Amino acid sequence: MIKLINIELYKIFKKWRTYIGFIAIAILIPMIEFAISFEGTRSLNFVTREIQQTFIFVGNLLNTYFVSYLILNSLAIHIPFLITLVAGDLLAGEATAGTYRILITRPISRFEIVTSKFIAGMIYTFLLILWLAVISLGLGYFLFGTGELIVLKSGSIIVLAKNDIFWRFLLAYGFALLSMGVVASLAFLFSSLVENAIGPIITTMAIIIIFLIISAINIDIFQSIKPYLFTSYMNTWSSFFDNPIDTTEIIKSVSILAAHIIVFFGFTLFIFRQKDILT
Amino acid sequence: MEQNKIIEIKNLSKQFKDVKAVDDLNLNVYKGDVFGFLGPNGAGKSTTIRMLLSLISPDNGEIKIFDKSLKENRIEILSKIGAIVEKPDFYGYLSAYKNLEILGKISGREISSKKIMEVLELVSLEKRYKSKVKTFSHGMKQRLGIAQALIHDPELIILDEPTTGLDPQGMKEIRDLIIYLSKEKNKTIFLSSHILYEVELVANRMIIINKGSAKVEGRVEDLLNANKLRVAVEVDNSEKVKMLLSTTRWNENLETVANNKMIFNLPQNEVAELNKYLVENGILVNALIPTRSLEDYFLTITQKASG
Amino acid sequence: MKFFTFLLLPFIIFAQSNNPDVIIRNLKNEFNKVKDYSVDVNIKVDVSFLKVPEMNAKIYFKQPDKIHIQSEGFAMLPRDGLYTSPLSFLKNDYTAIYVRDEIIDGSNASVIKIIPLNDKGDLVLTTMWIDQKRNVILKVESTTKTNGTFTMDLNYGDNKYPLPSSMLFVFNAERSKLTQFDRNDENSKKKKPQMISGKVYISYSNYVVNKGLPDSLFEQKGKNNSNISSDVH
Repeated sequence: MIKLINIELYKIFKKWRTYIGFIAIAILIPMIEFAISFEGTRSLNFVTREIQQTFIFVGNLLNTYFVSYLILNSLAIHIPFLITLVAGDLLAGEATAGTYRILITRPISRFEIVTSKFIAGMIYTFLLILWLAVISLGLGYFLFGTGELIVLKSGSIIVLAKNDIFWRFLLAYGFALLSMGVVASLAFLFSSLVENAIGPIITTMAIIIIFLIISAINIDIFQSIKPYLFTSYMNTWSSFFDNPIDTTEIIKSVSILAAHIIVFFGFTLFIFRQKDILT
Repeated sequence: MEQNKIIEIKNLSKQFKDVKAVDDLNLNVYKGDVFGFLGPNGAGKSTTIRMLLSLISPDNGEIKIFDKSLKENRIEILSKIGAIVEKPDFYGYLSAYKNLEILGKISGREISSKKIMEVLELVSLEKRYKSKVKTFSHGMKQRLGIAQALIHDPELIILDEPTTGLDPQGMKEIRDLIIYLSKEKNKTIFLSSHILYEVELVANRMIIINKGSAKVEGRVEDLLNANKLRVAVEVDNSEKVKMLLSTTRWNENLETVANNKMIFNLPQNEVAELNKYLVENGILVNALIPTRSLEDYFLTITQKASG
Repeated sequence: MKFFTFLLLPFIIFAQSNNPDVIIRNLKNEFNKVKDYSVDVNIKVDVSFLKVPEMNAKIYFKQPDKIHIQSEGFAMLPRDGLYTSPLSFLKNDYTAIYVRDEIIDGSNASVIKIIPLNDKGDLVLTTMWIDQKRNVILKVESTTKTNGTFTMDLNYGDNKYPLPSSMLFVFNAERSKLTQFDRNDENSKKKKPQMISGKVYISYSNYVVNKGLPDSLFEQKGKNNSNISSDVH
């Protein structure tokens, strides 16, 4: 199995589309951070303007944590796209290339094929999130240094002590990995159904965008279905920046997202094991 | 004598929507066979091969390979099979060597780099081992296809139309390779083709399928008995010839008469004699065309399939 | 104890003045002994919508009203509650009225009301409880134009100079624009503006007084500095 995962990773990282995500992050994040650095504290003031009337602020709130938090907050659509680009190709790509025939005629089970590809896809997702974390926090540290993190949440302003932040980021990125894992496994599921990678990429993105739009529109009927949309739980990463942390909410979101991954993967496995390979 | 069955297909059927691709197919391949699996395009050859390799699952019937049920022993069986299915597709963004290395790794045994180079040499691709497969011509991919089928030294080699798209030189090379693998390496080979001539040159046993089921099966020698030809003789007056031959032994060989075209079933060595006899008796022989009955039959179904 | 208090009472009453201008002059004179100082502050904020850790900063003060705040990390200090000098309440023209004497935390204090004579400052009405024995402000209660009302309770410990050792700042303000930042947040959407109160507890330590702070210190700029000009109020 490890051999298979290695092979799948090798295949993933020999395709140039894999690097689109890494390159996009390597361009996008520095652009955002340089822009913030150019703007200076103005980009922070929209958060703090109101309280600055009552309080005097001293210290470095415009720091790598603030910037990384901002970035994590604004990439809800972009990162899923980069994930589907690879995850949607995992199975469909073999169909398009016709390489299912040389792969499935080997003495390996379809379970092993699906699972190794899934794990390889998850590793890619992990590396992309890690890359995002390293670039945002690393470049942010270089440009802005560290400091306390100011967060706006549930009508509260939360300031987290400098030494109380990093672990929250680790967990938040971990949670982001789980969210993106759902995206990846959905794209993977669609990838098992068709013979072309474009379909899974577009379908997955369409679902995410539709779900996000439904969640955003303040109509009762939409709001009542919101709890049934997995995208509603993808923002829970920000709960790690609450003080105190709402563990119940996080456990709920983690379980729901993990259940989605299991169900999507289960479906993929079920479909793929029955699938007649005609390409 | 009970021979060692390598492939045993019983009552195999597969339907795609309205089309019966394979319909109650039965066949046996024995150890050491070069088995010709012959049929026109769309006869169900590829569907059968895909079922043999578990790419698709049968609706009905049973497949036994190495005397074991494919369904229950898939992995063990596949570890002893090398195959090309339809056109040879590879990971185009990887080199020939890397493709073989990857496929070798998942073939259930350790494949050394020496072995990879040996196989590449066998198909004359050793000089291009570093090139990405997407730069390969169709012929080179076809040869790499054979290489990947041989990489893990399988007992049974399944080749689905391995000469498609090759020039005559390339076709010959593949035929030679098949003969080499059979004679020198004692492999059992299952060769599908839509060209009778190709099968005839290398196979010892064969089956002809059409519309998903077997039409003719047997030893190639028997089926294509070169000693019994079907000879079409075009004469100026068939009635006269009929009279003339009625008292000779050739009367029995006469199959049909249509206009002035007469069909005889003859041993090859009598074709010249018959001609000599007719000419000596003042018959004008316009044409004398020897054909083989199986070839005729095959030509008919092939034409039907393509027309 | 009661007996002693009773005995001392005539003397104290004798030393006390009922003239607000005298009381304030004494207060000013006492504070003017301090030319400059620096002090470490520890700040605890207790406001419902603010979740802030304990913070530390260093405050520099130089007469008449130069303030410089420096901190290693982030610190937020209430603008109205940044007590550095009793004179900050007395900058604009005012009328002072003596009301009465009261006992606060066991100390006798004269209650003085400060009424501004013009609209320049933010303070509308300020009441000060002044300990005439030590010439320090024990308590301030004030209504502002923009930030609601606040009170300050000051403790002095045994500081040699009239500088506080701790202070409790309590404010009441209308929670209005403060919470509009989070547009996606349901809670803030539904809640209507309401009165909110908060407490800030500041403790002062390590006073360094009259060591001659350079003016340049108060002109520094940077992430970890904040210079407050005289218009704090």
